[in-house]
Amino acid sequence: MENIDDLVARLAQDTTAVKPAPHPFMLSLQWMGIAAIYLSISIALSGWRPDILEAFHRPWFVAELAALLGIFIVTSVSAALLAFPDLHQKRLLALAPTWMFAIFLLILYFAARTDNPPVPLPAHSFECTLGITLMALLPAVWTFYFMRKYASTHYRLAGSVALLSAFSVGALWLRLHEETDSIAHVIAWHYLPMLAIGIIGLWLGKRLLKW
Amino acid sequence: MTDQNDNFEALIQRSLAGDQRAYAALLQKTSRLLRPFLAKRLGFTTEVDDLMQETLISIHKARHTYDGNRPYKPWAFAIAKFRLQDFLRAHYADQLRHAIDFDELEENLHEAVTEPVISYESISGEVQKLPQKQATILQLMHQDGYTAKEVAEKMGMNESAVKVAAHRAYKVLKKKLER
Repeated sequence: MENIDDLVARLAQDTTAVKPAPHPFMLSLQWMGIAAIYLSISIALSGWRPDILEAFHRPWFVAELAALLGIFIVTSVSAALLAFPDLHQKRLLALAPTWMFAIFLLILYFAARTDNPPVPLPAHSFECTLGITLMALLPAVWTFYFMRKYASTHYRLAGSVALLSAFSVGALWLRLHEETDSIAHVIAWHYLPMLAIGIIGLWLGKRLLKW
Repeated sequence: MTDQNDNFEALIQRSLAGDQRAYAALLQKTSRLLRPFLAKRLGFTTEVDDLMQETLISIHKARHTYDGNRPYKPWAFAIAKFRLQDFLRAHYADQLRHAIDFDELEENLHEAVTEPVISYESISGEVQKLPQKQATILQLMHQDGYTAKEVAEKMGMNESAVKVAAHRAYKVLKKKLER
Protein backbone atom coordinates (compact mmCIF):
# COMPACT_ATOMS: atom_id res chain seq x y z
CA MET A 1 0.00 0.00 0.00
CA GLU A 2 1.13 3.56 -0.58
CA ASN A 3 2.25 5.63 2.37
CA ILE A 4 0.07 8.16 4.14
CA ASP A 5 1.67 11.23 2.53
CA ASP A 6 1.17 9.84 -0.98
CA LEU A 7 -2.43 8.92 -0.17
CA VAL A 8 -3.16 12.37 1.27
CA ALA A 9 -1.65 14.01 -1.81
CA ARG A 10 -3.72 11.80 -4.12
CA LEU A 11 -6.99 12.38 -2.23
CA ALA A 12 -6.35 16.14 -2.07
CA GLN A 13 -5.69 16.20 -5.80
CA ASP A 14 -8.96 14.33 -6.46
CA THR A 15 -11.10 16.59 -4.32
CA THR A 16 -13.55 19.09 -5.75
CA ALA A 17 -16.26 21.24 -4.16
CA VAL A 18 -18.75 18.98 -2.39
CA LYS A 19 -22.35 19.78 -1.52
CA PRO A 20 -22.94 18.78 2.12
CA ALA A 21 -25.77 16.34 2.78
CA PRO A 22 -29.01 17.88 4.02
CA HIS A 23 -29.65 17.96 7.76
CA PRO A 24 -31.15 14.64 8.90
CA PHE A 25 -34.26 16.46 10.13
CA MET A 26 -34.82 17.83 6.63
CA LEU A 27 -34.11 14.41 5.20
CA SER A 28 -36.64 12.71 7.47
CA LEU A 29 -39.17 15.46 6.79
CA GLN A 30 -38.74 14.77 3.09
CA TRP A 31 -39.32 11.02 3.65
CA MET A 32 -42.35 11.71 5.83
CA GLY A 33 -43.77 14.03 3.19
CA ILE A 34 -43.40 11.39 0.49
CA ALA A 35 -44.91 8.78 2.83
CA ALA A 36 -47.87 11.05 3.62
CA ILE A 37 -48.58 11.48 -0.09
CA TYR A 38 -48.19 7.73 -0.65
CA LEU A 39 -50.52 6.95 2.25
CA SER A 40 -53.12 9.46 1.04
CA ILE A 41 -53.10 8.03 -2.49
CA SER A 42 -53.30 4.47 -1.15
CA ILE A 43 -56.29 5.27 1.06
CA ALA A 44 -57.95 7.22 -1.74
CA LEU A 45 -57.60 4.16 -3.98
CA SER A 46 -58.46 1.48 -1.42
CA GLY A 47 -60.98 3.46 0.61
CA TRP A 48 -61.39 4.28 4.32
CA ARG A 49 -62.75 1.67 6.70
CA PRO A 50 -66.57 2.03 6.68
CA ASP A 51 -66.73 2.86 10.41
CA ILE A 52 -63.86 5.35 10.42
CA LEU A 53 -65.78 8.21 12.08
CA GLU A 54 -67.12 5.89 14.76
CA ALA A 55 -63.65 4.37 15.27
CA PHE A 56 -62.19 7.82 15.95
CA HIS A 57 -64.49 8.05 18.97
CA ARG A 58 -62.82 5.02 20.55
CA PRO A 59 -59.94 6.29 22.74
CA TRP A 60 -57.73 3.17 22.45
CA PHE A 61 -58.05 3.13 18.66
CA VAL A 62 -57.00 6.78 18.55
CA ALA A 63 -54.15 6.09 21.01
CA GLU A 64 -53.01 3.12 18.92
CA LEU A 65 -53.03 5.19 15.73
CA ALA A 66 -51.23 8.06 17.45
CA ALA A 67 -48.55 5.67 18.74
CA LEU A 68 -48.22 4.09 15.30
CA LEU A 69 -47.83 7.54 13.79
CA GLY A 70 -45.28 8.30 16.51
CA ILE A 71 -43.35 5.16 15.58
CA PHE A 72 -43.37 6.21 11.95
CA ILE A 73 -42.10 9.73 12.76
CA VAL A 74 -39.49 8.62 15.28
CA THR A 75 -38.17 5.77 13.12
CA SER A 76 -37.96 8.13 10.12
CA VAL A 77 -35.90 10.63 12.13
CA SER A 78 -33.79 7.85 13.62
CA ALA A 79 -33.14 6.27 10.20
CA ALA A 80 -32.01 9.64 8.87
CA LEU A 81 -29.67 10.15 11.84
CA LEU A 82 -28.32 6.61 11.52
CA ALA A 83 -27.40 7.33 7.90
CA PHE A 84 -24.66 9.67 9.18
CA PRO A 85 -21.39 8.28 10.57
CA ASP A 86 -21.64 10.16 13.89
CA LEU A 87 -25.47 9.96 14.08
CA HIS A 88 -25.23 13.71 13.56
CA GLN A 89 -24.16 13.75 17.23
CA LYS A 90 -27.73 13.12 18.35
CA ARG A 91 -27.32 9.62 19.77
CA LEU A 92 -30.30 9.80 22.15
CA LEU A 93 -32.64 10.83 19.38
CA ALA A 94 -31.31 8.07 17.14
CA LEU A 95 -32.23 5.54 19.82
CA ALA A 96 -35.64 7.10 20.50
CA PRO A 97 -37.61 4.34 18.65
CA THR A 98 -36.97 2.11 21.70
CA TRP A 99 -39.05 4.47 23.87
CA MET A 100 -41.72 4.84 21.22
CA PHE A 101 -42.08 1.07 20.92
CA ALA A 102 -42.35 0.81 24.71
CA ILE A 103 -45.22 3.33 24.68
CA PHE A 104 -46.82 1.45 21.81
CA LEU A 105 -46.66 -1.86 23.73
CA LEU A 106 -48.20 -0.18 26.75
CA ILE A 107 -51.08 1.14 24.64
CA LEU A 108 -51.65 -2.29 23.09
CA TYR A 109 -51.65 -3.83 26.56
CA PHE A 110 -54.35 -1.43 27.80
CA ALA A 111 -56.32 -1.79 24.56
CA ALA A 112 -56.27 -5.58 25.02
CA ARG A 113 -57.45 -5.22 28.63
CA THR A 114 -60.42 -3.10 27.61
CA ASP A 115 -61.36 -5.61 24.87
CA ASN A 116 -63.81 -7.33 27.19
CA PRO A 117 -65.79 -9.28 26.08
CA PRO A 118 -63.28 -9.87 23.24
CA VAL A 119 -64.33 -8.87 19.76
CA PRO A 120 -64.59 -12.05 17.60
CA LEU A 121 -61.57 -12.79 15.43
CA PRO A 122 -62.06 -12.05 11.73
CA ALA A 123 -61.99 -14.89 9.21
CA HIS A 124 -58.72 -13.79 7.63
CA SER A 125 -55.28 -13.88 9.25
CA PHE A 126 -51.92 -13.70 7.43
CA GLU A 127 -53.46 -11.67 4.61
CA CYS A 128 -53.06 -8.60 6.84
CA THR A 129 -49.31 -9.17 7.29
CA LEU A 130 -48.99 -9.71 3.56
CA GLY A 131 -50.94 -6.53 2.78
CA ILE A 132 -48.85 -4.43 5.18
CA THR A 133 -45.63 -5.88 3.78
CA LEU A 134 -46.63 -5.19 0.18
CA MET A 135 -47.70 -1.68 1.12
CA ALA A 136 -44.34 -1.15 2.88
CA LEU A 137 -42.25 -2.22 -0.11
CA LEU A 138 -42.16 1.14 -1.84
CA PRO A 139 -41.37 3.20 1.30
CA ALA A 140 -38.63 0.66 2.11
CA VAL A 141 -37.12 1.02 -1.35
CA TRP A 142 -36.99 4.81 -1.23
CA THR A 143 -35.68 4.93 2.33
CA PHE A 144 -32.84 2.52 1.54
CA TYR A 145 -32.16 4.34 -1.73
CA PHE A 146 -31.70 7.64 0.12
CA MET A 147 -29.75 6.08 2.98
CA ARG A 148 -27.25 4.51 0.60
CA LYS A 149 -26.20 8.01 -0.47
CA TYR A 150 -24.78 8.67 2.99
CA ALA A 151 -22.40 6.74 5.19
CA SER A 152 -23.92 4.73 7.99
CA THR A 153 -21.55 3.32 10.58
CA HIS A 154 -24.44 1.46 12.23
CA TYR A 155 -25.68 -0.19 9.06
CA ARG A 156 -27.49 -3.11 10.74
CA LEU A 157 -29.45 -0.90 13.12
CA ALA A 158 -30.07 1.62 10.33
CA GLY A 159 -31.50 -1.14 8.13
CA SER A 160 -33.75 -2.38 10.90
CA VAL A 161 -35.08 1.08 11.78
CA ALA A 162 -35.62 1.96 8.10
CA LEU A 163 -37.62 -1.21 7.51
CA LEU A 164 -39.69 -0.63 10.66
CA SER A 165 -40.42 2.88 9.44
CA ALA A 166 -41.63 1.53 6.09
CA PHE A 167 -43.67 -1.19 7.82
CA SER A 168 -45.37 1.38 10.04
CA VAL A 169 -46.62 3.15 6.89
CA GLY A 170 -48.23 -0.13 5.81
CA ALA A 171 -49.64 -0.75 9.29
CA LEU A 172 -51.16 2.76 9.38
CA TRP A 173 -52.76 2.20 6.00
CA LEU A 174 -54.32 -1.10 7.04
CA ARG A 175 -55.73 0.28 10.29
CA LEU A 176 -57.38 3.10 8.35
CA HIS A 177 -58.61 0.79 5.60
CA GLU A 178 -59.67 -2.46 7.25
CA GLU A 179 -62.64 -2.70 9.59
CA THR A 180 -61.15 -4.97 12.23
CA ASP A 181 -61.54 -4.33 15.93
CA SER A 182 -60.20 -7.57 17.33
CA ILE A 183 -57.13 -6.46 19.25
CA ALA A 184 -55.88 -10.07 19.38
CA HIS A 185 -55.93 -10.21 15.57
CA VAL A 186 -54.30 -6.80 15.26
CA ILE A 187 -51.51 -7.76 17.66
CA ALA A 188 -50.91 -11.17 16.06
CA TRP A 189 -51.10 -10.24 12.37
CA HIS A 190 -50.39 -6.51 12.22
CA TYR A 191 -47.81 -5.81 14.93
CA LEU A 192 -46.04 -9.04 15.92
CA PRO A 193 -44.60 -9.40 12.40
CA MET A 194 -42.75 -6.15 13.19
CA LEU A 195 -40.29 -8.30 15.16
CA ALA A 196 -39.47 -10.34 12.07
CA ILE A 197 -39.29 -7.16 10.00
CA GLY A 198 -36.79 -5.68 12.46
CA ILE A 199 -34.60 -8.78 12.14
CA ILE A 200 -34.84 -8.80 8.33
CA GLY A 201 -33.85 -5.13 8.49
CA LEU A 202 -30.66 -6.01 10.35
CA TRP A 203 -29.72 -8.35 7.51
CA LEU A 204 -30.79 -5.95 4.77
CA GLY A 205 -28.84 -3.15 6.42
CA LYS A 206 -25.70 -5.23 6.25
CA ARG A 207 -26.34 -6.09 2.60
CA LEU A 208 -27.40 -2.66 1.38
CA LEU A 209 -25.90 -0.03 3.66
CA LYS A 210 -22.37 -1.32 4.21
CA TRP A 211 -19.78 0.87 2.52
CA MET B 1 -7.92 22.64 22.40
CA THR B 2 -10.60 24.98 21.09
CA ASP B 3 -8.15 26.44 18.60
CA GLN B 4 -7.36 22.98 17.31
CA ASN B 5 -11.08 22.20 16.93
CA ASP B 6 -11.62 25.48 15.14
CA ASN B 7 -8.80 24.58 12.81
CA PHE B 8 -10.33 21.24 11.96
CA GLU B 9 -13.72 22.76 11.28
CA ALA B 10 -12.32 25.68 9.31
CA LEU B 11 -10.17 23.31 7.27
CA ILE B 12 -13.04 20.99 6.36
CA GLN B 13 -15.29 23.88 5.44
CA ARG B 14 -12.60 25.14 3.05
CA SER B 15 -12.11 21.57 1.82
CA LEU B 16 -15.80 21.17 1.06
CA ALA B 17 -15.56 24.34 -0.98
CA GLY B 18 -12.87 22.65 -3.09
CA ASP B 19 -9.67 24.00 -1.48
CA GLN B 20 -7.15 21.19 -2.14
CA ARG B 21 -4.42 22.57 0.15
CA ALA B 22 -6.84 22.87 3.06
CA TYR B 23 -7.98 19.32 2.37
CA ALA B 24 -4.42 17.96 2.38
CA ALA B 25 -3.76 19.79 5.67
CA LEU B 26 -7.00 18.42 7.13
CA LEU B 27 -6.16 14.83 6.19
CA GLN B 28 -2.64 15.17 7.64
CA LYS B 29 -4.02 16.58 10.88
CA THR B 30 -6.70 13.89 10.99
CA SER B 31 -4.10 11.18 10.50
CA ARG B 32 -2.08 12.58 13.43
CA LEU B 33 -5.25 12.74 15.51
CA LEU B 34 -6.36 9.18 14.79
CA ARG B 35 -3.01 7.38 14.81
CA PRO B 36 -2.73 7.03 18.63
CA PHE B 37 -6.35 5.80 18.77
CA LEU B 38 -5.61 3.03 16.25
CA ALA B 39 -2.12 2.27 17.57
CA LYS B 40 -3.51 1.68 21.05
CA ARG B 41 -5.86 -0.96 19.68
CA LEU B 42 -3.63 -2.73 17.16
CA GLY B 43 -0.41 -4.64 17.72
CA PHE B 44 1.67 -3.80 14.67
CA THR B 45 2.73 -0.61 12.92
CA THR B 46 1.93 -2.11 9.51
CA GLU B 47 -1.67 -2.81 10.63
CA VAL B 48 -1.99 0.75 11.96
CA ASP B 49 -0.71 2.14 8.65
CA ASP B 50 -3.08 0.00 6.59
CA LEU B 51 -6.06 0.91 8.72
CA MET B 52 -5.07 4.59 8.78
CA GLN B 53 -5.16 4.59 4.99
CA GLU B 54 -8.55 2.86 4.89
CA THR B 55 -9.87 5.38 7.41
CA LEU B 56 -8.62 8.35 5.38
CA ILE B 57 -10.22 6.91 2.23
CA SER B 58 -13.49 6.45 4.17
CA ILE B 59 -13.32 10.04 5.43
CA HIS B 60 -12.82 11.13 1.83
CA LYS B 61 -15.85 9.11 0.67
CA ALA B 62 -18.05 10.33 3.52
CA ARG B 63 -16.97 13.98 3.60
CA HIS B 64 -20.34 15.10 2.23
CA THR B 65 -21.96 13.86 5.47
CA TYR B 66 -20.14 16.56 7.43
CA ASP B 67 -21.58 20.07 7.16
CA GLY B 68 -19.11 22.01 9.29
CA ASN B 69 -21.76 22.98 11.85
CA ARG B 70 -20.92 20.37 14.47
CA PRO B 71 -17.62 19.26 16.04
CA TYR B 72 -15.36 17.50 13.55
CA LYS B 73 -13.56 15.12 15.90
CA PRO B 74 -16.55 12.92 16.88
CA TRP B 75 -17.35 12.56 13.18
CA ALA B 76 -13.81 11.51 12.30
CA PHE B 77 -13.54 9.17 15.30
CA ALA B 78 -16.89 7.55 14.41
CA ILE B 79 -15.48 6.65 10.99
CA ALA B 80 -12.17 5.45 12.47
CA LYS B 81 -13.98 3.27 15.01
CA PHE B 82 -16.20 1.86 12.26
CA ARG B 83 -13.20 0.91 10.13
CA LEU B 84 -11.38 -0.51 13.16
CA GLN B 85 -14.34 -2.75 14.02
CA ASP B 86 -14.52 -3.89 10.40
CA PHE B 87 -10.82 -4.65 10.41
CA LEU B 88 -10.95 -6.58 13.69
CA ARG B 89 -14.01 -8.52 12.57
CA ALA B 90 -12.26 -9.57 9.35
CA HIS B 91 -9.04 -10.29 11.26
CA TYR B 92 -10.67 -12.61 13.78
CA ALA B 93 -12.85 -14.26 11.14
CA ASP B 94 -9.67 -14.99 9.22
CA GLN B 95 -8.03 -16.39 12.34
CA LEU B 96 -11.01 -18.65 12.93
CA ARG B 97 -10.80 -19.92 9.36
CA HIS B 98 -7.17 -20.81 9.85
CA ALA B 99 -7.55 -22.03 13.40
CA ILE B 100 -6.16 -25.43 14.20
CA ASP B 101 -8.26 -28.09 15.83
CA PHE B 102 -7.32 -28.36 19.51
CA ASP B 103 -7.08 -32.17 19.23
CA GLU B 104 -4.44 -31.69 16.57
CA LEU B 105 -2.77 -29.09 18.74
CA GLU B 106 -2.62 -31.50 21.64
CA GLU B 107 -1.05 -34.21 19.52
CA ASN B 108 1.66 -31.87 18.38
CA LEU B 109 2.51 -30.33 21.72
CA HIS B 110 5.43 -32.32 22.98
CA GLU B 111 7.09 -32.05 26.32
CA ALA B 112 9.82 -30.03 24.72
CA VAL B 113 7.50 -27.04 24.65
CA THR B 114 7.56 -26.69 28.42
CA GLU B 115 10.99 -28.16 29.03
CA PRO B 116 13.00 -27.21 26.00
CA VAL B 117 15.90 -29.44 25.08
CA ILE B 118 17.09 -26.75 22.69
CA SER B 119 17.59 -23.32 24.26
CA TYR B 120 15.93 -20.26 22.74
CA GLU B 121 19.31 -18.60 22.27
CA SER B 122 20.60 -21.44 20.11
CA ILE B 123 17.78 -21.04 17.62
CA SER B 124 17.15 -17.30 17.91
CA GLY B 125 18.55 -16.82 14.40
CA GLU B 126 15.87 -19.12 12.98
CA VAL B 127 13.21 -17.42 15.13
CA GLN B 128 14.06 -14.03 13.67
CA LYS B 129 13.36 -15.41 10.17
CA LEU B 130 9.77 -16.21 11.16
CA PRO B 131 6.92 -13.72 10.43
CA GLN B 132 7.18 -10.73 12.78
CA LYS B 133 4.16 -11.67 14.88
CA GLN B 134 5.29 -15.27 15.47
CA ALA B 135 8.86 -14.20 16.23
CA THR B 136 7.64 -11.64 18.79
CA ILE B 137 5.41 -14.23 20.46
CA LEU B 138 8.23 -16.79 20.75
CA GLN B 139 10.62 -14.14 22.03
CA LEU B 140 8.17 -12.99 24.70
CA MET B 141 7.33 -16.55 25.76
CA HIS B 142 10.72 -18.20 25.66
CA GLN B 143 13.25 -15.43 26.12
CA ASP B 144 11.36 -13.02 28.35
CA GLY B 145 9.39 -15.73 30.17
CA TYR B 146 5.86 -14.40 29.68
CA THR B 147 2.91 -16.79 29.74
CA ALA B 148 0.60 -17.07 26.72
CA LYS B 149 -2.02 -15.07 28.64
CA GLU B 150 0.44 -12.26 29.38
CA VAL B 151 1.64 -12.23 25.76
CA ALA B 152 -1.98 -12.00 24.64
CA GLU B 153 -2.59 -8.99 26.87
CA LYS B 154 0.64 -7.35 25.74
CA MET B 155 -0.11 -7.80 22.05
CA GLY B 156 -3.84 -7.10 22.18
CA MET B 157 -4.68 -10.63 20.99
CA ASN B 158 -6.67 -13.36 22.65
CA GLU B 159 -4.91 -16.20 24.43
CA SER B 160 -5.91 -18.97 22.04
CA ALA B 161 -4.70 -16.88 19.07
CA VAL B 162 -1.29 -16.56 20.75
CA LYS B 163 -1.16 -20.32 21.36
CA VAL B 164 -2.12 -21.05 17.77
CA ALA B 165 0.50 -18.62 16.43
CA ALA B 166 3.13 -20.17 18.71
CA HIS B 167 2.14 -23.64 17.58
CA ARG B 168 2.54 -22.67 13.95
CA ALA B 169 5.94 -21.22 14.73
CA TYR B 170 6.99 -24.45 16.50
CA LYS B 171 5.99 -26.48 13.47
CA VAL B 172 8.03 -24.27 11.12
CA LEU B 173 11.02 -24.36 13.45
CA LYS B 174 10.75 -28.13 13.87
CA LYS B 175 10.82 -28.64 10.12
CA LYS B 176 13.84 -26.35 9.76
CA LEU B 177 15.76 -27.99 12.58
CA GLU B 178 15.07 -31.52 11.28
CA ARG B 179 16.73 -30.73 7.98
